[in-house]
Amino acid sequence: MNSSSTLTEILIDGVSRGAVYALVALGYTMVYGVLGMINFAHGEVFMIGMFACIYAIGVFSTTWGDHIFLNLGLGIIVAMIFSAAYGYANERIAYRRLRKAHVLAPLTSAIGISTFLQYFIFLTVSKDTVNFPRYYSDFLTNHRIHFGGVEVTYLQIAILSLALIIMGGLFYLINCTRLGIALRATAQDQLMASLVGIPVDKIIAFTFILGSALAAIAGVMVSMYTNVLVFDAGYRVGLKAFTAAILGGIGNVPGAVLGALILGLTEALTTLQFGSEWNDVTTFGLLMLVLLLRPRGLLGERVADKV
Amino acid sequence: MRKLHLLLSLGIVLVAGAALTSCQKSQDSKPVEASTIKIGMAGAQTGSDGQIGTSMLNGSKIAIDEWNAKGGVLGKKIETVILDDEGKPDKAVTVAQTLVDSGVVAVIGHFNSGCTIPASRRYNDAKIVEISPGSTNPQYTEQGFPYAFRICGRDDQQGPVAAAYMHDKLKLNKIAILHNKTAYGQGLAEVVKKTFESLGGTVVMFQGIGQDERDFRANLSVVKGSGAEGFFWGGMYSQGGPLCIQLREAGLNIPFISDDGCFDQSFIDTVGNTANVFLSFGKDYHDLPAAKPFMDKYKATFNQQEGAYSVYGYDAANTLLSAIDQAQSTEADKVTAIMKNRPFDTILGKVEFDSKGDVKQSGYVMWTIKDGKLQVLPDGP
Repeated sequence: MNSSSTLTEILIDGVSRGAVYALVALGYTMVYGVLGMINFAHGEVFMIGMFACIYAIGVFSTTWGDHIFLNLGLGIIVAMIFSAAYGYANERIAYRRLRKAHVLAPLTSAIGISTFLQYFIFLTVSKDTVNFPRYYSDFLTNHRIHFGGVEVTYLQIAILSLALIIMGGLFYLINCTRLGIALRATAQDQLMASLVGIPVDKIIAFTFILGSALAAIAGVMVSMYTNVLVFDAGYRVGLKAFTAAILGGIGNVPGAVLGALILGLTEALTTLQFGSEWNDVTTFGLLMLVLLLRPRGLLGERVADKV
Repeated sequence: MRKLHLLLSLGIVLVAGAALTSCQKSQDSKPVEASTIKIGMAGAQTGSDGQIGTSMLNGSKIAIDEWNAKGGVLGKKIETVILDDEGKPDKAVTVAQTLVDSGVVAVIGHFNSGCTIPASRRYNDAKIVEISPGSTNPQYTEQGFPYAFRICGRDDQQGPVAAAYMHDKLKLNKIAILHNKTAYGQGLAEVVKKTFESLGGTVVMFQGIGQDERDFRANLSVVKGSGAEGFFWGGMYSQGGPLCIQLREAGLNIPFISDDGCFDQSFIDTVGNTANVFLSFGKDYHDLPAAKPFMDKYKATFNQQEGAYSVYGYDAANTLLSAIDQAQSTEADKVTAIMKNRPFDTILGKVEFDSKGDVKQSGYVMWTIKDGKLQVLPDGP
């Protein structure tokens, strides 16, 4: 194999890794955009989606047999409902009362919820890695599209297209719908928004429910991609997605995807050039560089606009 | 007003709590009159190595229960202090300090080499015997600590077995190596690299990856481009499983060779009946007569099959307690003198320690997956 095709493969790996980060980063950025708060428990909601999906698939396949598309589709829906419920509960229990508190209070609460959920799953569901049933992922991981000597699996294409579709959908929702206007109004000034008749509590709850449901989709795709689920799966992907959201400009939907793709490509190219032990050095070095030059991230709004 | 009440009640709870702890403390500060012998147990019980670490500690628990059923040691019941180091080196040092402060006379643990090495200094300074059932990094017993022991083999014994198998039996000339950047994984990977190169082979890729990373596709693309004929993973099963699957998904059907860290049922659950997978581990104990009652008891007590290091946990506890019994003392110097000079009977056979605290008999062999089970290779070393 010549080195140019290795480079092409690395680029594909990088883009699909970036797409994985993008799926999670969208949730971070949406909550930040509306509340100005970093929801550190987002990675755990994502992990709960993973577990909900395979347990649902297990129940369905014992109830009415192994219909791949039916069970997987329903599994994703169950995961979305589960994650959305957790996301809503997090907001209701841990964040709502702290909305007017100092900015560090909800942040600390989020870290607490994150640790709580991680070890709740560890103690009640599984201490060990759980395998995604390969019967359900084989059709995505084993089928490939060939072009120019390189292969891309269906799953890699699915992850990237999902990230782009969700990005487009969110962008449309926020910028072109009445709900989006309410979201933006809530983001700008909660008191004023409530005075003009926007149900602020419901809007914020909706943000969490939508973000968490999207996290569940990401969870299912990622658990297929990495083949295993584990209680701390949300931590690493969550951290990287959070970094990606910052890199692209947190609060900005296309920025999250851009940041995630850049992050994924940086990691893949570092692996090729220096070895994967340098991944954290290069990605966080890049983050620092970007933040020094553009403190609000690549596509971030200027501070004046925000206030 | 409500706030005041809240503060008051909080204050009362705090004061009561402090009073209780100080009672506890005053009880603890009379070691002379202690009616029990305290043994510390430490290892990863949570975190990604939580399962294998817990099953190791469970093995030790069975041994201690057996001793207590017989009346304890030196005429006193054994009391265990079990702490979780989460597989993290910094946490392990805190755990070690807590164990030292709680007055344990000896420690069984830890599991991860990265935890055992920094913790061992604390135990050594406090003159506490430490016996690790599962830490294979050579550095642990190379620090010159008189009270440090291990009942498993060392990576500079394990690595050469794996390297020689790859070079001599599998006839590989070019291999790629990936490790998890821990004292254990990286240490072993470096030994394998050194041995493989000294045998005349070439290591075409040598990389490390974060412990919680589970997407290895970029590394595998590099492996593909490097033309490696075999792949060695220095790390644990929680990453080894998905890594092995992704290797096959990438169309690389080259041999996958790994270590005792992958020697766990969940590794097989993940990879299934994959051919061309080889693991280095200690000898097969399943057919040994002494192992059967232990495996049955483990199953009855914890309602699951024993883990890879359960037997080692059991053997470590038994060795330690019988050394205390033979020394008729819990003093570290006396126990150490016994341990270094007498043979001990364990499930895995007779065990003797050398002057460093390593076992003289460490029989690493190569295993493979056959019929969904790990089995010793007939042609292996």
